[in-house]
Amino acid sequence: MKPFFSQIERDLLIAWQNRQDIGIMLIFFVIIIALFPLAIGSNRDILGPLAMPIIWIAALLSILAGFDRLFAQDVRDGWLDQVSLSQLGLAWYALAKAVSHWLSAGLPLLVMTPMMAMLLNISSSQFPALLVALLVGSMGLTLLGVIGAALAEGARRGAALMALLILPLAAPLLIFGTLASKSETGIINPHLMLLGAVFAILLATAPLVAACALEIGETETGV
Amino acid sequence: MNTQNTVTGELPLAIGLQITDLHVLRGMRLVINGLSHQQQPGEIYCLTGPNGAGKSTLLRTIANRLPVANGYISCAAPVVYVGHNDGLSGSISGRENLKGWAKINGFSCLAAEIDKALASFAVTGFADKATHRLSRGQRRRLALTRLCLAPANSLWLLDEPNASLDQASNAILDEAVIDHADRGGMILAATHSDFAAAGSPQFITLPGWCE
Repeated sequence: MKPFFSQIERDLLIAWQNRQDIGIMLIFFVIIIALFPLAIGSNRDILGPLAMPIIWIAALLSILAGFDRLFAQDVRDGWLDQVSLSQLGLAWYALAKAVSHWLSAGLPLLVMTPMMAMLLNISSSQFPALLVALLVGSMGLTLLGVIGAALAEGARRGAALMALLILPLAAPLLIFGTLASKSETGIINPHLMLLGAVFAILLATAPLVAACALEIGETETGV
Repeated sequence: MNTQNTVTGELPLAIGLQITDLHVLRGMRLVINGLSHQQQPGEIYCLTGPNGAGKSTLLRTIANRLPVANGYISCAAPVVYVGHNDGLSGSISGRENLKGWAKINGFSCLAAEIDKALASFAVTGFADKATHRLSRGQRRRLALTRLCLAPANSLWLLDEPNASLDQASNAILDEAVIDHADRGGMILAATHSDFAAAGSPQFITLPGWCE
């Protein structure tokens, strides 16, 4: 397990050195949310029911926006060569990437969410359900993003390709996530459980899929 | 996925490095066509041949980065690979890079050992700067510093290790290579220049580009 945590430590160190990227992502999140009232108008009856979906769509877009370069830097630096020779293994490496990416992108987003929810006039009694659902949902989205980033690695227009691959797969997370956030039956509701199930499947499969994609991608590039 | 031992075949593990009838494809081209090679601990081999002969391909195949089309490679020793890319993140310092590398390999990463390795390649002066501020040659030296942290019996795969090194660093590298061979390590280096001449290396010459 030690190599696994060392990889996370290294990625967090790099993320801290590039912390302006996290700031940009958070500003992106705020701007998307702010755009909706501008377009829809300030009618409370229309905006009210849309508040939760707006937060979810903004979160989905801002989490996935930072993904296309997840592996690119490591491939270009030659770090991936070192990883595949090490005790870590590519699947654990992919999982470590997911964890560190969630800690440096998903977590700040989650901290920001209550403020955005207040901005959209969501009543504070709904905050816990929203935050718990967004916690699980953002972790699931991160795992999906790892698959997409690994598949698109080395491709031209990787970012566009990744969006095409990942956005349709994100639909279940978005559906169950918004339903779980809006649920009237408490924090732990059936929608959250289904969201959790999607996350569990992704947790089991995403690192392996990403590892396969990285291995195949590597054989086709370089001399 | 752990690639300490690359074994595709039924033969028992060799003590050193054993390559038998190796074929490697890059796309549709057969780059390595029936190469056999045996290397015992303490031996230095230089891989020569014209551009495109497959020197890097062979090293990357031994490092398990490329699939073997036919034949097999067996190596009981840990493998350390220093390729064209240095494997250093530009955002963090050389010391942090080195420590992270030692940790994911399960090698010792005590501060004293890292300091010793840094000193041996004379990189202590710039080891704490973010590596994107360093020159090509300085980064190369940091990448080579990894070699000093690996176990004594390891196989060093060096791809153009002299690239962008100055005279003094070349001498340090030669010394490190010969010292490693003396302690029972193995070195396989793809190189154009006269490499570790004092260690009397043996040569493998790959034939040129064939269609």
